[in-house]
Amino acid sequence: MFFVTYLRREMRRRMRQAVLVALGLALGIGLVVTISAASAGVKKAQSDVLSGLYGVGTDVAVTGPAQAPPAPGTQRQIGQNLELGPGGTQICTDGRRCVNAAGHTYNALYAAPLLRPFRTSSVASVARLHDVAAAAGVLTLAGQSITFPAGFGRPGGSPPELTSFTVDGVETGHTPVGPLTAATVSSGHLFTAVDAYANVALVDSDYAAGAGLRVGSAITIRQVRFTVIAIVSQPQGSNPPDVYIPLARAEALGTAFKDGGSLSHDVSLIYVVAASAADVPVVQHEISRLLPGSTVTAAASLASQVTGSLASAARLANDLGRWLAIVVLIAAFAVACLLTMGAVARRSAEFGILKALGWRTRRIVAQVLGESLATGIAGAGAGIGLGFAGAAIIAAVAPKLSTTAPSSAIGSLQQRPAARGSIHPFASHAVSVPLSPSVTIGVIVLAVILALAGGLLAGTFGSWRIARLRPASALAQVA
Amino acid sequence: MYMLTGVTKLHRKGRSTIPAVCELDLTIGDGEWLAIQGRTGHGKTTVLNLLGGLDRPTHGAIELHGTDLAALPETQLTALRAERIGFVFQTFNLIPTLSAAENVEAALIPLRTSQTSRRARTAAALDAVGLTDRANHLPAELSGGQQQRVAIARALVKEPAVMLADEPTGNLDEDTRDDIIALLELLWRERGITLVLVTHDTTIACRAQRVAVMTNGRLTIRRDIGHAPAGFLCPGPIRRSD
Repeated sequence: MFFVTYLRREMRRRMRQAVLVALGLALGIGLVVTISAASAGVKKAQSDVLSGLYGVGTDVAVTGPAQAPPAPGTQRQIGQNLELGPGGTQICTDGRRCVNAAGHTYNALYAAPLLRPFRTSSVASVARLHDVAAAAGVLTLAGQSITFPAGFGRPGGSPPELTSFTVDGVETGHTPVGPLTAATVSSGHLFTAVDAYANVALVDSDYAAGAGLRVGSAITIRQVRFTVIAIVSQPQGSNPPDVYIPLARAEALGTAFKDGGSLSHDVSLIYVVAASAADVPVVQHEISRLLPGSTVTAAASLASQVTGSLASAARLANDLGRWLAIVVLIAAFAVACLLTMGAVARRSAEFGILKALGWRTRRIVAQVLGESLATGIAGAGAGIGLGFAGAAIIAAVAPKLSTTAPSSAIGSLQQRPAARGSIHPFASHAVSVPLSPSVTIGVIVLAVILALAGGLLAGTFGSWRIARLRPASALAQVA
Repeated sequence: MYMLTGVTKLHRKGRSTIPAVCELDLTIGDGEWLAIQGRTGHGKTTVLNLLGGLDRPTHGAIELHGTDLAALPETQLTALRAERIGFVFQTFNLIPTLSAAENVEAALIPLRTSQTSRRARTAAALDAVGLTDRANHLPAELSGGQQQRVAIARALVKEPAVMLADEPTGNLDEDTRDDIIALLELLWRERGITLVLVTHDTTIACRAQRVAVMTNGRLTIRRDIGHAPAGFLCPGPIRRSD
């Protein structure tokens, strides 16, 4: 085909210029692809962090109003408690029966100290709201087990052995909302409705690896033996609890931190899914009216509270990165236009000959546009390759992004022990997430469109010159 | 064929106006060979450009078979050049990236014929100028004379009614010049085309049926060679190729 033959020969003749224009376009497009990939990676990291905090699909989380910590000496002595007696450390039960701690084990399982729990009936009330698609309650507990050796308290005696762990009591029926929606089951199976009152547990994969647990193993929570029925993993950065048990069992075994009271029919957190994204503000308002004093947090607002280098990376990709890509693209387009116009000027005599032969202006313009588009396509290919390379380099050399869980109420509830063995169960935590840039099909399509647009723009500028060309003047340049 | 009436072409440069052609009246018959002589810069090429529709007169009419070229819109003028007018230039003006055959074929692109037809006609045109064995050579691989033959083939391939040649031998040596002129003359005789040839070479002009001279933009028709006015001499015997 004559058009292709002429195009091919001309590209070969002006190979250096064509390569220059294509490289310029490739640089701009490669930058767009790389920044888009990095931005996608940052968004995914944010999403992983948030979905781990909230679970996939959660729009709103509700926590109770703050409560003052108990004054010393005013706590009701229900369950086990550690006290200092005349003989040293004592384990007291119900505030009356006290024994020396040596040779005994202290077990405690209690809810968050600073937030008032909800009644489970509140969960049902929230679920019945008009714009709410689903709601589920969770009871977050912290467990401690301190084993005092027989010689504890005597000179040369061994120190006590401390074990801390966190427990979430979750609803066992199939719910589209809750802390397990983002979980991946490594082995075993999740809770079913029949497990509502059973002594069965799901164990986080990291905790299971450290404790040597697998499906079928037994764990003791407040002197009650639970059977592990699944090992689960949560998204990176979500700081999950060590163990999940049925909500009813958590309510039965846990005690209120303030007074040691029962947690029966109590939940500490309500997960809510709105009917649609547009309904989230309305749902927040309705829940605030239904549960006065509660803290109602939307997932979208939580995103703005994520701090650390993850947030900085997000701002960098969205602001500086986007503008840098735009500037480089404009520069690449400008260079392509200028070079194409220069090439057309140098070929004025050739186009004059073609006009003398009877070629219509649009036929000549089509030839020039074809050459520009071919250059643009080459630029697109190279640009996409550069983009992939840029994304790979970022993935290889970028440090893990750190983020600190927000200090809102939901964050404080989700705060886990900074290290197992700590006696302070609700220390704050920092999370590291990898930056995994990803090039999507949409970005590739955008890159191709940008390259073609650049080629068309350059060809259009050149074509304008051709349209104004007078054959006699063009041929006079050759004579 | 051609009827030029009061044709004037003015070039404006800043505030001054330079007349390239002044009040030109000329009639060229079908199948006639007209040579236009004159010194450099006296308007010969301008006349050729006007005849070929490559330029438009400032005043006057240029009728080709009754159609005023000056009044035609650009698209129709382009179509007319594509179908009926062939050009041969002094500097050959071949497309450097296309082979000899492709250069010839380029003249058929505007006619929207099939590729098969184009290639057949291209082969015939190259054969007519004796360059069948150079069909796949690029212009840079051809001698000056061969390049001009390709240009002649490109002009002839569309079977034009008119061929306009602007100093076709200007860049060639003497022997090659004679070969090219002989070829043009042969093709003129065989095909009955109207040939208007611009040259400053009297030897070449003498071979035409009629000779016109451009002086400062004004054209003077010499009578036929057999009735040369006093002072007008053709060097050597008149040579006609049969």
